[in-house]
Amino acid sequence: MAGTAVSPTRDSPMIRSAAALRPLRRLRLADYLFLLPALLFVGATMLYPVYANLRMSLYDVSVMTFLSGNAPFVGFTNYQKLASDPAFLHALALSLLFTVGSLLFQFTIGFALALFFNRPFPGNGALRALLLLAWLLPTVVSGSLFRWMLDGDYGVLNFALVRLGLLSDGRYWLIDPGTALAGTILANVWVGIPFNMALLLAGLQGIPTVLYEAARVDGASSWQQFRSLTLPLMRPVALSVLLLGLIYTFKVFDLIYVMTKGGPVDATTTLPIYTYKLTFEFFRFGDGAAAATLLLLGLVVVALVYLWASRREEMA
Amino acid sequence: MSQSLGRWRNAGYGSTLVGILIVIVFLFPVFWMVSTSLKSPAAIFATPPALIPTPLVLDAYRDAVAGDPAVVRAIGTSLVISVGAMLLTLVLAAPAAYGLAQLRLPGGALVLLLLLITQLLPSIVIAGPLFVLFTRLHLVSSYQALILADTTLTLPFAVIVLRPFFLSVPRDLEAAALVDGATRWGSFFRITLPLVRAGLVTVAAFSFLFAWGEFVFALSLTTSEDFQPVTVALNRLIGQYGTQWNSLMAISTTVALPIIAVFAGLQRFIVGGLTTGATRE
Repeated sequence: MAGTAVSPTRDSPMIRSAAALRPLRRLRLADYLFLLPALLFVGATMLYPVYANLRMSLYDVSVMTFLSGNAPFVGFTNYQKLASDPAFLHALALSLLFTVGSLLFQFTIGFALALFFNRPFPGNGALRALLLLAWLLPTVVSGSLFRWMLDGDYGVLNFALVRLGLLSDGRYWLIDPGTALAGTILANVWVGIPFNMALLLAGLQGIPTVLYEAARVDGASSWQQFRSLTLPLMRPVALSVLLLGLIYTFKVFDLIYVMTKGGPVDATTTLPIYTYKLTFEFFRFGDGAAAATLLLLGLVVVALVYLWASRREEMA
Repeated sequence: MSQSLGRWRNAGYGSTLVGILIVIVFLFPVFWMVSTSLKSPAAIFATPPALIPTPLVLDAYRDAVAGDPAVVRAIGTSLVISVGAMLLTLVLAAPAAYGLAQLRLPGGALVLLLLLITQLLPSIVIAGPLFVLFTRLHLVSSYQALILADTTLTLPFAVIVLRPFFLSVPRDLEAAALVDGATRWGSFFRITLPLVRAGLVTVAAFSFLFAWGEFVFALSLTTSEDFQPVTVALNRLIGQYGTQWNSLMAISTTVALPIIAVFAGLQRFIVGGLTTGATRE
């Protein structure tokens, strides 16, 4: 598809741009070829699975009918079963707890760190980048690491808490059903803090410094500047960081799976873990697909809120 | 004296000190992982635990990492899959991001929205159907299955990160090349791609990191140990090693090492990529 418009007068800017426009238009259809491979890939490995999942959720797929493909159509029965399944409702509640607990600490600590690193000082960039390491570690690594630190007998957390006088005796954090979820939240907060910090810092750096200079001229204290400049101006960024965090936290699977496998009993079986168990451990494929669809539906709703909110901020 | 102290404070070295303290506290778990991996079995159970093991013992690395053929093979598997996913991501994402940015095709916004939404897909939602699909194609327990599956994680992110890089390339450059008789693909490869090298490095680094640490697909799409990446091997050994924490931490440190290396070498690309990829632009 050569643009053959080579003319002796191409040095004239007018002719040059006109000639450049012609091949642009002629190549339109062929241009979609750039997008085609990626679109085919997304279609085959992402959209098709979502469709297959949706379909499977309407059939009673078991071990027997899994590969033969002649499972009976049951409509919304799988969904009805889930809605009255105490294990599903328990998983949903745990997911909400895990998400809210994680976000609360990730966000506040991340925000505090972002405020700190927003001031210029020597070594700022390097130190800030180092923190990102926690976010980049493979989840299996951070999971096994926190298993070790939260170990009941020789874990360093127990040692520190007892030494500081905060606990009289070590706790079996991940073995005790009462503290296991808190243990996974702790690990997830650690992983998520740098992510929150980086995004919030980008937001802080987007606030024009002129505003602060003007506030200082008007005699505003740093607390007043924070209250009436930083906070309101950071609202849109904070909102999108929270919504993104909500999406990323709600679907956390590997960290919890590595730390507790959903146990003890079902104390950390959040919705993603429950979905995995239904499909890959109990081989209740139809129910698993229904649970996965509900999980996805929840995330899509949050994503739509996110898109709507950011569109609104853009217009404003 | 007081004058130099004042200058010292003005330059913000006090903040630097606090910053260093924050980093030390926050990254203590990473330090603890490495420290534990260098301890002898007896030193793990010592109270109070030693911050820095004396003597430093490499036994855990010798026995549990280098001495375990399953772990060595898993590291190899992870390398093949990560490099494979990285290359596939680049091949698919670069033309797509270019198409979205430089060509401004109608429907481009829709494609971008689609990618944003696929980025939010939980892996377990598509792991089940992918398992069925790969069973039918006889791909379960193969490098290809995991390369394809991992690319579902990296591709949307890669296109979203790369698009702004392509947007910043002046369109006149392309137009000039086309006038001079270059084809679209020719100018894409020879003119535009070299100009977005920084973006390609960012995307390559992230794809490698994502694929290296991936766990859900690795767990659900491999039934044979021969094709299990190192993340699944580590998870399996957690149960097996029980309280041999030095062995587990040695494997964990080994799994973390490529991440730390890539991070150290390409830090500036990664920090930029995180903020672009996670938000919209």
